[in-house]
Amino acid sequence: MAGSETRRQLILEAMVRVVGRKGYKETSVADVIEEANVSRTTFYKHFDDKHECFLAAYDLVVERVLGAVIANCDGEQPWLERMRVGLTTVVELFALDPELARTAIVEVAAAGADARQRHWNAVTRLSEFLEAGRELSGDRELPENLDLMAAGAVSGLIFDELLTGRAERLPELLPDLLFAMLVPYVGPGAATAEMRRAAAG
Amino acid sequence: MEGAGVGERWRPPRGRHRLPPEVVARSQRNRLLEAAVRVVAAKGYGAMTVGDLTREAGVSRTTFYELFEDKEACFLAAYDNAVEALVRRVVAAYESAAAWPERAAAGLAALLDALAAEPALARLSLVDIGNAGPVAQRRYRAAIQRLTPLFEEGRDYAPGGRGLPANTSRMAIGGVTGLISDELLAGRAEQLPGLLSDVLFATLVPYIGPDAAAREVDRLKR
Repeated sequence: MAGSETRRQLILEAMVRVVGRKGYKETSVADVIEEANVSRTTFYKHFDDKHECFLAAYDLVVERVLGAVIANCDGEQPWLERMRVGLTTVVELFALDPELARTAIVEVAAAGADARQRHWNAVTRLSEFLEAGRELSGDRELPENLDLMAAGAVSGLIFDELLTGRAERLPELLPDLLFAMLVPYVGPGAATAEMRRAAAG
Repeated sequence: MEGAGVGERWRPPRGRHRLPPEVVARSQRNRLLEAAVRVVAAKGYGAMTVGDLTREAGVSRTTFYELFEDKEACFLAAYDNAVEALVRRVVAAYESAAAWPERAAAGLAALLDALAAEPALARLSLVDIGNAGPVAQRRYRAAIQRLTPLFEEGRDYAPGGRGLPANTSRMAIGGVTGLISDELLAGRAEQLPGLLSDVLFATLVPYIGPDAAAREVDRLKR
C-alpha cells in the first residue's frame, strides 16, 4: 500500500497527464482518480476540489522545469552558452513530454486567474536568468524589463506551437527561440550568429 | 429591466411598431454583445449564464436563442466585435504616420490608450480569454496576428532585415504582449500608456538591435 505522500504525488502526476490530454475544462475528478488509480476518498483527503489539485500539480510542473534548467546551467559557463543550454533544456523537456507542456503553457490559461498568475510568475522566474546579459550591453541605457520582452517573445512562440499540437516539433524552433531570447541584449547581428550556431550544432 | 450602461443607448420601442425586424434583431444582438463583455468582466466567463446575458441586455430568452446557439457563441461574437474595433483603431493610427518607427509608435500608443480606457475589456481580451476554452484562445492568437503588418514593416526598415528569422514579427508581438500582460496581471491597466517607450523598444529591438532601438525611442519621445 502506497503511503499518503506517494498517493498525493500520484494524483498530481495524473492531473498533469489528464489535463494535458483532455484540457482543463473537460477534466473531471473522476478522470484524475482513474488515471492515478486511487479512490475518490483519497482524492478528497488531499484536495478540496479539482482546482486546488490543479494548482498543486502546476507548482510541481514549475519546480520540475526550473529544476532541470538550474541543474543544466551551472553558472560556470559564459552567459550566451548558459542561455542556450537553459532554453534547450526547456524545449527538450516539452518535446519529450507534450502532455506536461500543454498543461504548463496552454491549459493553465483555462484554470482561472490564480493559475494564470502562477504561470506568469514562473515565466518571470525563468527570465531572471537572462538578467546577467545586461552586462553585455555595456553602459547603454536600456529599458529595465528587457527580460520580460525576451520572455514574452519566447513564450508567445512556444504557446503557438503547443496550441496547434506541435510539441514534438519544438526543437526545430530552437534557433528562432534563441534569437528571440538574445536579441534584446545583443541585437540581431549577434543573435543571428548564435541562431546559426544552434542550427548547425 | 435596463442593465447598467445601456440606458443611454437607443432601443426600439416595445410592443407593436414598424421597425423592420432586421433592425430590431441587430439592436438586440448588439445589446447582448455589450452585455457579454460586462458580465464576463464582472463575474468571469465560467460563472456567466444565459440568464445573466438576457437580464443585462433586456431581451427575452427566446430572442437570445434566435440569435445565438449558446453562451459561448455569444461570448465569441462579443470578443470578435471588441477585437475588431481595437484592431481598426490601431491600424488607423498606424497608417496616419509615414515612416516605420513613427508608424509603430502611433499604433502602439493607440493600442495602449484603448486598453487603458477599458480595463475590463483589456483584461478580458489579453489575460482572461483562456477561460473561455481553446476556441477562444485560437481567436485571440488570430487577433494578435492581425497586427503583424505593424511590426513586419521593420524588415524593410532594418539594414539586414531580409536575413532576420521568418518569425521576427511574432517575436516582437510576443515582447509587446508580455509587457502588457504583466501590467494587466498586476492590475495596472490604467497605467498602460506609460509603457509606450518600453513596448516601442520591444517592437524595434529584434529588427534594429538595442542601441538603435534605444536611440529611436529617445528621438520619438521628443
